Amino acid sequence: MADFVSRISVVCFAASYGVALAFEVTRLWFRSGVRGATMVGFVTAGLLAQTLYLVWRAATVTALPLSSAFDWYLLAAWMLAAGSLWMTLANPRTPVGLFVLPVVLGLIGAAELSSREPFPQSPATQIWGIIHGSFNLAMSVAIVLGGLAGSMWLIQAGRLARKQAPLQGFRMPSLEKLSLWSSRMAIIAAWAGGSGFLSGMVLNAVNRQRGLLETVPWNDPVVLRMGMLVVWLIAAAIISRAVVRQASGRRITAVLSLISLCLLTASILWGVFGKTRHGMPPQSSSSRLVIPARRGDA
Amino acid sequence: MSLTFVGGSHRTVPIELRERLAFSADQAAEALARFRRQFPGSEAVLLSTCNRVELYAAAEQQQGPPPPDELALFLAECRGVDPTSAGQVLGGDQGPAAVKHLFCVAAGLDSMVLGEPQIVAQVKQAWQIAQQSGTTGPLTGELFQAALRAAKRVASETAVGRERLSIPSVAVADFASGVFERFDDKRVLLIGAGKMAAETLRYLRDAGARDVHVVNRTAGRAEQLAQRLGGTARPYNDLATELIAADLIVSTTGATEPVVTLEAFLAIEPQRQGRPLVVLDLAVPRDFDPRIGKQAGVWLYSVDDLGQACEANRQRRQREMPAALTIVDEETRRFMGDLHHRSTVPVIEQLRAGWNETGEAELDRLFRKLPDLDDAARDEIRRAFHRYAAKMLHPPMASLRSESHAGPPHGLLDALRRLFDLKE
Repeated sequence: MADFVSRISVVCFAASYGVALAFEVTRLWFRSGVRGATMVGFVTAGLLAQTLYLVWRAATVTALPLSSAFDWYLLAAWMLAAGSLWMTLANPRTPVGLFVLPVVLGLIGAAELSSREPFPQSPATQIWGIIHGSFNLAMSVAIVLGGLAGSMWLIQAGRLARKQAPLQGFRMPSLEKLSLWSSRMAIIAAWAGGSGFLSGMVLNAVNRQRGLLETVPWNDPVVLRMGMLVVWLIAAAIISRAVVRQASGRRITAVLSLISLCLLTASILWGVFGKTRHGMPPQSSSSRLVIPARRGDA
Repeated sequence: MSLTFVGGSHRTVPIELRERLAFSADQAAEALARFRRQFPGSEAVLLSTCNRVELYAAAEQQQGPPPPDELALFLAECRGVDPTSAGQVLGGDQGPAAVKHLFCVAAGLDSMVLGEPQIVAQVKQAWQIAQQSGTTGPLTGELFQAALRAAKRVASETAVGRERLSIPSVAVADFASGVFERFDDKRVLLIGAGKMAAETLRYLRDAGARDVHVVNRTAGRAEQLAQRLGGTARPYNDLATELIAADLIVSTTGATEPVVTLEAFLAIEPQRQGRPLVVLDLAVPRDFDPRIGKQAGVWLYSVDDLGQACEANRQRRQREMPAALTIVDEETRRFMGDLHHRSTVPVIEQLRAGWNETGEAELDRLFRKLPDLDDAARDEIRRAFHRYAAKMLHPPMASLRSESHAGPPHGLLDALRRLFDLKE
């Protein structure tokens, strides 16, 4: 069993999601009685493989499990894939996968381009590191879900404004439901983003105070872009609440959610290709409290 | 063993004659009882709907069921219609063409509204009446079962019956449901008492709408309509208040000028506090100024808008026709193959009986020569004989089955009869 699990690679579940996405795309052209089940089968297989892969990585790395940028992106992709599966089963006539699976594949791609080395940790700051990472993960997933709901809202509203009947196999959720999703996700993203940023500041302060790890400067690109993103998310949530009683309020919320998704994408690309001291091992050799990491992945 | 049908539909028979040829359930039962007396040995099912009257007959005997001309005469006599005028418009077919026709009918491909689903229930009902009248048999049984199977396949594998075609159904399912997730917490306002109001409300009720308010210039009609539709009548003077409170409006007045102008709507719009509004303006001339539809949060649909969506749906259904006909062809071939194979059963049974008889005789002779064999050994030898016979019979049976798909395997049957000296 361990031998089998150790041979699961990123390509395995990425290919499963890719095939599922290809099946989902064919909805636009023809009907099929077996496509839905096949698609669900591939997403389930991909999710299972990804779960086993993450469990294997968590079990084989001596550092805090799943604490590298690589793992972080894979966890976000896993959560979205699980959400996509759940939504597809709950709404079989809605092409959820068409929207969510490209993001899942994008996150897997970002993971492949990111470092697999665990972030440097010390026992004293580990808990703050977990809180910081979890809030940022929640923020990202909420932004993605909100952005997708917003884009679906705009597509559905466009269809209704053009007075066209729904396309075969492309039935969107109602504007009411999509509007609810995007406004809720905007609030969750703002709360999680704010909490993630604050917990990051605490983590940094503890490190500085105790001299445990190298601290991240305020002008670090990651800190700056995350700070800007959090400010934007809070502003977007406030604007969404403020326009809720306006006739165009729902459209504004949808557009804001979509902008948030674009900003997150830009932020991820910046993180993948840019230079930063965030989450990097210290440059000096004084950090003897750092738990050494062993690469558990080939 | 053959099948025949005769009849006429909305395509071939004028409505005046169709009305006179139509059978109620009781009349159909009477006609079938008469059929049984007049054509003993034949099976029959009578399908009578508002758009068609068709009689399907089948017989396993050599001479087959009555020919289409005779069946047309029978139908005309049953309904007291002049046989000459009925004969001019009633048509029929036999064999695979008759089978294909029934499959098309059951799948709604021959219906006035392509793919309409009610026809399946009507075909089932026709079958039940025939069964109760004692005119069904193995042939019509298999035929109608196969027809329902073909209809099910067409419904599930194509979108021929999926797209909505009526204005109220499109208005509710394709547009109002695109805006609202649920209707049980929405306030529905009905303005006027046009003929489409009740049907639209029926779809809205099916979707969960409960809170219905009716406004009409004539208070009495509003009360009457509200009572009939299970809503609340409101005075016409409260129209502005009702417009503020409503989430969905169905308007069907006979007014010659817009009932709600842009100015009137803009005056109440701030009080709606940004709630989305769906307006189904089913009146001609329109009750709502079309410019209202340009306002944020307002989804306004006129009869023309909905009619265009219906037409697009109709065209989509039409595009599914080739796929549906492919299924019908497949099912027809499958049914005819099974039917032809049935005609080989007597020959196969004779062949099998002949082999078994010879085998048993040989076994008796063998067991007499070997009296020391115990029961277990005898059983083993008997089983070996039966296995041998089954294996020897398998190739001719497989050939018969494969030949049956192309048509009645007369040549093979004749050869088998001559080779094995079988009786006709």
